[in-house]
Amino acid sequence: MGLEDLLPEDSFITTRVEDLVNWGRQNSTWPLLFGLACCAMEMIAAGTARHDIARYGSELFRATPRQADLIIVSGRVSQKMAPVIRRLYDQMLEPKWVIAMGICASAGGPFNNYAIVQGVDKIIPVDVYVPGCPPRPEALLYGLDLLRKKQAGETFSQYRFTEAMPAEAQTAAGLSVRPG
Amino acid sequence: MPLLNVSPVQRPYETLPNLNDIAIPARAPGFGEDTEDTAAIREALGPAILDSGLQLDLPWVTVAPSHLRELATWLRDGPLGYTTLIDVTAVDLLDLPAGEAEHRFQTVYQFRAYARGQHLAVLCPLTGGASPTAPSLAPVFPGAIWPEREVMDLMGIEFADHPDPRRILMPASWPNHPLRKDVPLGGEDVPFSLTWDHPEFEQLGDQILDPASRAPDLPPGMSRRNMILNMGPHHPSTHGVLRLVVELDGERVVNVDPDLGYLHSGFEKTGEHRRYKDFVYYTDRMDYLSAMNNNLGYVLAVEAMLNLEVPPRAQAIRVIMGELQRIASHLFWLSTHVLDVSGTGMNLLMYATRERERILDMFEMVCGARLTTSYIRIGGVWKDLPEAFLDAVNQFCDLMPDRIHEYAAMINESPIWHTRLEGVGVVTPEEALAKGLTGPMLRGSGIDWDLRRDRPYCGYETYDFDVPISQRCDSFGRYEVRMAEMHQSLRIIRQALARLPEGPYRADDRKINPPPRAELDVSMESLIHHFKLFTEGFKVPPGMYYHGIEASKGELGFFLYSDGSGKPYRLHVRGPSFNNLFAISDMSQGLMLSDIITNIGSIDIVLGEVDR
Repeated sequence: MGLEDLLPEDSFITTRVEDLVNWGRQNSTWPLLFGLACCAMEMIAAGTARHDIARYGSELFRATPRQADLIIVSGRVSQKMAPVIRRLYDQMLEPKWVIAMGICASAGGPFNNYAIVQGVDKIIPVDVYVPGCPPRPEALLYGLDLLRKKQAGETFSQYRFTEAMPAEAQTAAGLSVRPG
Repeated sequence: MPLLNVSPVQRPYETLPNLNDIAIPARAPGFGEDTEDTAAIREALGPAILDSGLQLDLPWVTVAPSHLRELATWLRDGPLGYTTLIDVTAVDLLDLPAGEAEHRFQTVYQFRAYARGQHLAVLCPLTGGASPTAPSLAPVFPGAIWPEREVMDLMGIEFADHPDPRRILMPASWPNHPLRKDVPLGGEDVPFSLTWDHPEFEQLGDQILDPASRAPDLPPGMSRRNMILNMGPHHPSTHGVLRLVVELDGERVVNVDPDLGYLHSGFEKTGEHRRYKDFVYYTDRMDYLSAMNNNLGYVLAVEAMLNLEVPPRAQAIRVIMGELQRIASHLFWLSTHVLDVSGTGMNLLMYATRERERILDMFEMVCGARLTTSYIRIGGVWKDLPEAFLDAVNQFCDLMPDRIHEYAAMINESPIWHTRLEGVGVVTPEEALAKGLTGPMLRGSGIDWDLRRDRPYCGYETYDFDVPISQRCDSFGRYEVRMAEMHQSLRIIRQALARLPEGPYRADDRKINPPPRAELDVSMESLIHHFKLFTEGFKVPPGMYYHGIEASKGELGFFLYSDGSGKPYRLHVRGPSFNNLFAISDMSQGLMLSDIITNIGSIDIVLGEVDR
């Protein structure tokens, strides 16, 4: 069916371990089952048959952050919710990624007021911003595409050292995955 | 003392040179003639009634705070039969000339007499300046507990004898009461910077809230002797960011305390800083599963204050959109409810989404958006229907009845579905009235009331449809009601399609609606109208108004208080999910933990509307 049929018996393929691992991570990024507001409806729509997020290996929405690789912040983040989101993010295991879905999660959107945190990047680092109010399911899938590109370029070393190294050293070594 | 002093306040933009004064005849402030009901109230309570009369089509009564509870008891038990308190809110008069130090706050109550189809608004001017106290109506109407907590939280009005005086939406350590007029809107200046060396980005990760802002661990009335379980705000079955603190004896629920506000977005405060037409776009984001109904509720309230006639075609289009949205919302309720209760697992979510996507496609045809439609505008609708839309709706109407039967067959065959819904979440009719429940929560308890039929708007009185009710009073009854409502919505859509009149799709009033684009090239006057509308907006005559519509989850009400300027002085939303969710505590007591999930699904909440 696949590559194994094209190869002669007892043969092998060489690749980098990082490429193999990244290939696995790209194709099975499990999101956290976590909805905030309007964008969550489009996130659910992306999970149903028509848009079929399963094509990306991301259909397995996990209810616990300890089994999730990706948190899709789908909606406006209120002042009361901000500490909760931070805690959920902290509970996720490395490697972990964040998609800010919609303008509210990206920058506060139409809610520039006392109640809403002006962008979730004030409390957790964001990998991909998906614009829209709300973004269509296709836009979210495109955001996942961008995330896959980013995942493809990641190295083990950046996870091994980023915790211990100061930010300047990370930047100097070209290791910084996160902005800032 | 003038109780409703609504002299216009000078707004900054009004100092601009007036190019073409928007001359809406100002309605005389204050109340008009007495109605039968207000006359009867005057007779019964005498001098306690400070003022009464009709404003627009709403009867209003002003009562002294010392006699408020007496009035409420009399309304409930007396001959008029106002059995339900629909809404409680308050107005801060600080920015108005009447907002003198002593009488700064007023509380506003909406009562409903279901048996007679009557609505009554009650105004209660408070004394005490910046720290006023109002008598709590919770002993008379338990449904007042949450709305009064909201007023307490957002306005800083104390309620004497309130059984549960805690903040409800804002974090416990929040420093102020955001809806007061001396509290600014808040927010941040937008940094127009795209480089990573902007100082803004250096603070990434630092702005985590004080842990003290978390809600206290143990709500009042709960005991450490039982198990305290925290559900949410991150939980797959709470339909959003709802947090429930559950007290359990074994697996039996002793008490449930919902903790709200995790999606509080400041809609009301924001609305008071936006022009009337701009708030339409915010309404989409409140109940994001029925944006069309939210648009409709808001524009109807504003149109009533403007005394604006809406053309028949727009009325019919609004009916079609409202009913399509009701079906879409009910489909989403059904699929998530079944998913939670697991009659058939994921299957029904996939099936029901198939039909819901068809509806969203139709919305996309008319306005380009799937969820946040903003299609229904003040004076009509945004654009006329595209040709393909009518075919799509016709096909949908032909297809849908079979599909609804199919879904019912899928889950009715399942014994799990019956066991988990029947007898779970019982709300007696008396409770439903006392708690101010609306929509399917009310009809599922056997109360025959539907605003579309009993206080019609958009010409619903000319449509032929039934109001499904169920006498079962449990979750299964509410399921039956919603399923039957989808069939009735299809019936209404068919009638609206058959009669869809030709003609304009928005009111031809240049003071309210912008002129067509082509006219701007040839008419200076049109250009001025256009400019005025998009810079300062139209002005709404002074006064106050409450209008409720039958949204998919219950009565969606908008309370507007205009000072005659281009922005609402006070805008309050009565979200059906908020009042309905109040019932969850009593519904769940004595049941199993898993029945809470059934109850949440059965109430059909949307947190955007609960928290606003």
